[in-house]
Parts: sequence; C-alpha cells; structure tokens
Amino acid sequence: MLLELLQGGDSGGFLLIQDTANYSGRHLLKSFINAALRRDEEVHVFCFETSEEELKEGFQEVQRLHIHNAYEDPLGWTKKAVFTVQQFSLNDLTRVIKLTPHQKTPIVVIDSLSWVLRHVCTTAVCSTLHQLKKGGFVRAIIGLLHADMHQKGTVGSVRHLSTSLITVTPSIMGDNCQAKITKRTKSGKVLQDEHTFSIKEDLTVMLLKSSNTAPQQMVQEEHEIDPTANLTFNLRLSDKEREAKEKLSLPFMFSKEKKKAILHSGANLGRILYEPDANDDFDQEDPDDDLDV
Amino acid sequence: MAAPMSGVGNPGVKSSSFNSTSFQKKTRSKLLSIPGTRPSVQNGQLLVSTGVTSLDFLLGGGLAVGAVLLIEEDRYDSYSRMILKYFLAEGVVCQHELFLASAQDSPDDILKELPSPIMDDVAIPKPMEQPRLSSDPQDSLEAMKIAWRYQNLPKVQSTLTSSSRFGHYYDVSKTMEAEIQQAAKCHRFYLPDHPNQTAPTHSPMLESYSALLKSLQEVIQKEGFEVAASSSKSRNILRIGLHSLGSSLWGDDLCCCDNPKHAHALTTFLYGLRALLRSSLAVAVVTVPSHLIQNRALMGRIAKLCDTAIALESFKGSEMETNPLYKDYHGLLHVRQVPHLNCLASQFPDHRDLAFKLKRKQFSIERLHLPPDLSETVSRVSRVELPGAASTASVCGLSTSANKHLDF
Repeated sequence: MLLELLQGGDSGGFLLIQDTANYSGRHLLKSFINAALRRDEEVHVFCFETSEEELKEGFQEVQRLHIHNAYEDPLGWTKKAVFTVQQFSLNDLTRVIKLTPHQKTPIVVIDSLSWVLRHVCTTAVCSTLHQLKKGGFVRAIIGLLHADMHQKGTVGSVRHLSTSLITVTPSIMGDNCQAKITKRTKSGKVLQDEHTFSIKEDLTVMLLKSSNTAPQQMVQEEHEIDPTANLTFNLRLSDKEREAKEKLSLPFMFSKEKKKAILHSGANLGRILYEPDANDDFDQEDPDDDLDV
Repeated sequence: MAAPMSGVGNPGVKSSSFNSTSFQKKTRSKLLSIPGTRPSVQNGQLLVSTGVTSLDFLLGGGLAVGAVLLIEEDRYDSYSRMILKYFLAEGVVCQHELFLASAQDSPDDILKELPSPIMDDVAIPKPMEQPRLSSDPQDSLEAMKIAWRYQNLPKVQSTLTSSSRFGHYYDVSKTMEAEIQQAAKCHRFYLPDHPNQTAPTHSPMLESYSALLKSLQEVIQKEGFEVAASSSKSRNILRIGLHSLGSSLWGDDLCCCDNPKHAHALTTFLYGLRALLRSSLAVAVVTVPSHLIQNRALMGRIAKLCDTAIALESFKGSEMETNPLYKDYHGLLHVRQVPHLNCLASQFPDHRDLAFKLKRKQFSIERLHLPPDLSETVSRVSRVELPGAASTASVCGLSTSANKHLDF
C-alpha cells in the first residue's frame, strides 16, 4: 500500500506521517515530495524545522518545488519574515499559495505540524487542515507529526482528521524502517498494512518485506481422523443395509397426513373442540337431570 | 407456543390489522398517536425505533421520545456513523422530520449515504415467531425424521429480537433513492456555514454549541414540536442527529488536552439539549469521539447527562482482530447507561457481553458466545487470558498466576 500512496492516487486527502525520536520520518517525507515532483506536480512546502538548503538537497528537478521558508523567523521577531506560524490559517495559506501561478492544483507539504501545534491551538490547526482539505483548492496535504512531542489527545485529534496515516518505527534489524499504514477510503472502509522498507540515495523507497494483513493461521487444522477405521467390528453401512434401515418404520413415526394434522393443530390456540359424550346432557334446563337420585 | 403480540391494545399503530385477535383496548383520546411510534409495554412511554431492531430490543423496545441517545464512537467512526444513518433513514421511512448537524462532513453528504429500506418488509411485516406453515409441506416434514414434532419450533436465536415487529430493515449496499429521501423534510446545520459571532457572553458554552442550540430551538418552535403547542395539525416527531460533538472541529478542546479549557462546554450544551427535548416531541442521537477524550471523569459526566449511552468498540486495527473468538463479529458493544424515565428502576439488558456484526441487511447485536473448546491442546488457563468482556466468572480466581489451574 505504501507504493500506492507514493503514486498519489486519490485527491483531497490528508496524509499524515507520524514519527518519534527513534526514527525520523523526514526521509519518507522527502521521498513523497520526490515522487510528486516526478509526477510533474506542483509542490508547496512550508518548512518550519529545516533550512531551505537542507530540504532541497537530494532533489533533481526543483522548478516545481516552492519552499516557503518559515525556518529563519517563524514567530516574526524580525519584520522581514517570509512566513510565520501565525499565518497558518486558511486565508493566509491560500493567499501565499496563490502568489505563484500554476496550472494544476498543488500539493501542500507541512514540515512539520508539531511546530505549528506548539504555537497555535489545536482546534485552530484542525479546522484549518479540514477547510484546506475540503476547499478543493489543494490536491493533497502531507504533514509530518512528531508523536512524542504532544499529548495523546492532540495526536489523536490530528490522526482523526487524516485519511491516511503512516506510523514509522525503526525496524529490528539494521537501519531499515517499519511502517504501519492505515487508510480510510471514501466509502468508509478502513484498510491496514505493514511494510519494512529502506530509502535509497535518490529518495526512492525500496520495499524489503511486507507482511500481509490477513494473519497466518497459527493452528494447523488437523486432519479429520476417520473414527470408523481400524476397528475390529464393522461400523459402516453398505448401500443395501442403508436402504433397509431407512425402510424400517419406527414407533411414533406417523404417515404424512397424521403428522401434518398434529403439527398444525397447535396453530389455533385456544380453540376448544367439544364432542358431547353420551352422559353429557345437552338440555340446558335441568342440569341435575343426569343425577341418579 | 409463542404467539405474535403485535398491536394488542394499540389502535394507533398501522400494524393493528395483523392482529391475531380482535380484542382492542379502550383508550382515552388523550394518548398521542403518531405514525412510527408506539407506547412502551413497560411504562407507557412513547417510543420511537432507532432503525436497528436489535438496538431497539436492547433499549427496552425503542428510544423514548424526549430522550437523548449517546453513542461513543469507535476508532475510525465507521459503525457509529452507520447507526446514525440508520436512525435518519428510519425517520425518512416513518415520515418524521429530521435535523442533522455536523462539523466534519456536510449534512447533504451524510443524507446521500442513507441505506435504502427493504420494501417488502415494510409492506407486509411478518411476526418473527409464527410457525412456518410452508406452502410445500413435503419438504418441511421430510427434514426431520425422528424428531418431527420439533419441526416447526423456531431455532435458538442468539440475536436479540422481540416478538413484535417495530422498525424496518435496511440494505446497506444500496443508498436510499433520491425521491424517498427528498420527500422527508430535513433541517441542516453545517458548522462552517455559521461563522463565529464574537458576542461577549459569559456562558461556559462555546459559540458553536450556542449556535447549534439556538438553531434547534428555532426549529422546534417554528415547526410546532413542542408538547404544549396547540395541536391544530397532526403531530410529528423531530429526529435530531448530532455527529461527532466534542471533536476539535467544533472548536472544543475536549479531545485535545488532558485539562481542557472548555471543560464545561459540551456538558452545558447537553444539559440545554436535554431540557429542550423534555418539552418537545423530539429524539436526539449524539455521537462523541470518546476514544480521544483523555479525561475519563469528563466522559462519565457526559454519559450521565444523556439518557441512554452505548459505546462501540471496533476490532479493526487492534490485536483483537486476529483473535479467533471474535472472528464472526465486527466489534463489541457496551451499554453504559439505560434511562429510568418516570420509574424507579431501569430495564437493564440481561446480557452484558454483546458483540455486533454489520451484515448487508441487518445490523445485528448478539450475545457473545464462547465457542466450545474442542481441541485437546487448549488448557483451561489460556481462556483466562482473553480480554475482559467474554471471560466467565472464573477470572477472579485465576487471574493472579497463570500456572494455577486445577487438574483432576
């Protein structure tokens, strides 16, 4: 599923890469940017945590890559800031993106969301991301979030908004990386996958081994042991014997009509069937007539 | 023998034509008879179907009019959204009015996804436990040779159903046709359409919640849903669906922080909502993303302020998905609270360990059965280690050390 996400199939989604201090997700983020550039897409990167030079290294074609440098002066202390954290709202973001003309709707990459979340309240960030997603103005949003920098509720709220979530953790062997991917399709289905991968020098992702989502059956089904084999007496029936057995009429096995009558009489509850006996006197006038006095 | 108990003593409901007896209870004319509702058999409260028949049975026949149902969402909000859609679809089929509020998706998008009702069930409701007087008696009698007297008895049902039909079935794979859906009157509230008015109020409620409550109040007053309103025209029920209250998109930091600033916003809103509902012919279903709320005391307060509270826990993405015990089900359902309206004790469901399964034509809620342990290698100890809800009472004795098992 990682390769499909790299190809960037669906539009209007919010892809979140969640990393921790053990393994940085920035390499994966750069490979996503690289894949988008290879597809001739316009990419706008708002970088808060790395310098422009550091971000640009490793990319071959950079004419469609627009970097908004918020690394030098994110809080606007000098008056010459390119982009400040306070400008992370829908109006300012769209204004900044619209400054550069382009043909296709751009992809917005935010490096990283953690920086924004430390200075702007979570509800504002969530509503900005949501409006950006819904606005139809950007094609996709890719964000990087450092999970160990925030409270669980904050991380959970941002995760709740995402359509695809990639959690990167260091893998057990070597310096490969393990990614757990959760993707929410438009129809509401949730798909999950796990991959082990490594990123090469030219920022392409190489999958090493991917485990299936369907768990392997740990318990092997034992072969059914036929209980009628290996006995000193015969428990099987030949055809003739089976026929004779079925022809045998057991007690309380009635004919079909009688069965039907008995079964269906239960349906009419409360019906009293009265057949007058010889001793029952039908004459209503004198009830004591049958007394032998 | 189980006899159908459908509309005995209930002249207001349409299904009274399928009575098995002609006995009709004399009622006073003050009893409100609104299509799609029926009085409860326990306390005479007017009930409305939630759209999911198993859930109706669990809640004691249905949702009481004037009450709030709280659904704690599952992790990816798939099943709670489904129940909300069932609730709204039921309103469309019963010709009730709808009110849908959402901050995340546009209400029109949610309304487009409503499941389509299965029409032949709507037309001819067959009572569930009627003996199968099948047209071809050959087949049915041939089926059992020796135990033929048990032929027509119903099979043991682990799904929770009652003997009388109330509510409809829906086909999830198809969406409701546009004509049926547009025939229903729906009021919408989409939060981005209501920009924040910076009125300096001193209420602990947020502007978004105040705007929602005000909008609800206007609708109830204008459309005449108040109980005390003059009944010049026929009365109807308003079904209110509030999607994902308390999430950060409503401007509430309940889900974001451990010590939220707006700790009382949602609780104040629910208090106001319940007060509004008690005096009107309306039912509300509220979904809250409780898995994001870190403060459990706050969640408890929210549940207490609603009448009925259920929580959905889906297996997707958790280690329970691979557990063979749960392979037939999609998740667990916990009933947190059941209301006691006008009575001292509430009707809590008998079974606490419930699991749900979303099938194509039914959302079934069943009692979780432990399957029999047929393999010889499983020892008694391993059953104790399974997660809480399905364990038997032997957990308390054996939970200390895993090696303590009694072997005779």
